[in-house]
Amino acid sequence: MNETEEQLWNYIDGFCTEDERKAIEILLTSDANYRNKYAELKAFEANMPSLGIEEPSMGFTFKVMENIRAEQARVPLKTRINTGIIGAIGAFFICTILVLLGFVLVSVDWSAPSPVHLPEIKIPPVTNYLNPVVIKGFLFFDVVLGLFFLDQYFRKFFIRQK
Amino acid sequence: MQKELTDIELIELVLAGNQSAYADLVKRHQRYAFTLALRFTKSREDAEEVAQDSFVKAYKSLSAFQQQSKFTTWLYSIVYTTAMNFLRKKKLKTDSMDDDAVFTQVNLLASDLKLDSTEQKSRSYYVNLAISQLLPDDATIITLFYQGEQSLEEIAQVVGMETNTVKVKLHRARHRLKEKLEGLLKQEVRELL
Repeated sequence: MNETEEQLWNYIDGFCTEDERKAIEILLTSDANYRNKYAELKAFEANMPSLGIEEPSMGFTFKVMENIRAEQARVPLKTRINTGIIGAIGAFFICTILVLLGFVLVSVDWSAPSPVHLPEIKIPPVTNYLNPVVIKGFLFFDVVLGLFFLDQYFRKFFIRQK
Repeated sequence: MQKELTDIELIELVLAGNQSAYADLVKRHQRYAFTLALRFTKSREDAEEVAQDSFVKAYKSLSAFQQQSKFTTWLYSIVYTTAMNFLRKKKLKTDSMDDDAVFTQVNLLASDLKLDSTEQKSRSYYVNLAISQLLPDDATIITLFYQGEQSLEEIAQVVGMETNTVKVKLHRARHRLKEKLEGLLKQEVRELL
C-alpha cells in the first residue's frame, strides 16, 4: 500500500491532524491523480455498509441459556457445601472436647500424697564425639547439599527463561 | 411504550439474579458475535459453537466486567479469544485464501449461499465473498470497524494490540479487500464475456 493511499485513508477516517487535512485538501483541488485515487477509495468505502451481518440459527439464545443452566447444574460439590453446616459440626466437636476436658479437670485429685521427684537426666559429653573426622564429614555433607540445591535452583531458573 | 434497557442496566439485572435479562443481552448482540466468529471459522456450525461458548464465558465472568469499556468491546474480546483458541484447537488453515484449497472452500461457501443470478451480481455478495477470502485478523478488524461500531482504541482492546498497529492493519486489510474485490469483479466480467 502506497503512502498516498494511507494518507487518504487517514483523511477519510478523520485520523489526520488539522495540518495534514489542509495539505490533503490542497492536493485534492490541485492534483487530478490524487483526486482520482480519493474518488476510488470513497467508492470502495461506499461498499462497506453492504458487509452483511450474519444471523445465527433460530434457537441460538435458547441454546446459550441452556448451556448456562447446564454449567450451573455441573457446579462441583465443594462449591455447594454450606459453610453453616461445617460451622455447626466444628462447634459440636469443640463443645464435646471442652466438656470432656472440664470433666477430667474436675475429677482430678489435685492433692499430691508425697513431694514430686523429678528424674535426673545425664547429658553425655558431646565434645567427645566432635573429632576432626566428624567435623570434616559434616562439612563435606553440607557442601554436597548446597550444590544439590544450587543445581535445582538453576534448573528451575533456566526452564523459566526458556 | 416501554423504554429499552441499556446493556449496563441489563447486566445489573443479571447480577441481581434475573437470568432472563441475560437472554435479552444475548438476543441483542448474537448477530455481531456470530458474524465475528464466522470471520474466523468460515463455517456456520463452528461459528455458532464459538459464539455460544463466548456468551457462556461472558455470563460466568459478568461480575468481573469493570464497565470501563463498552459491553460490546468486552464481549468481542471474549469472542476473539474464543475463536483464536478454537482455531488453534482445530488447527484450521488460516493462510491467505490465495491457495487452491482455500479457493475451493470459498467456492463451496458461495454455492452454499444458493443465491440466484441477480443476487450473485449484487454488491453485497461480492463484498462478503471478498471478506471471506481475507485472513481472520483482517476480516475481524474490518468487521469491528464498519459493523461493530468500534473505535480504533476499542478494536485494539478487543484484539490485544496497540492502537497504531490496528490502524496500520486496518489500512492493509482494506487494501487487501479492495484487491480481492477487484479480482472477483474482473473474474465476473471475464465470465460474462
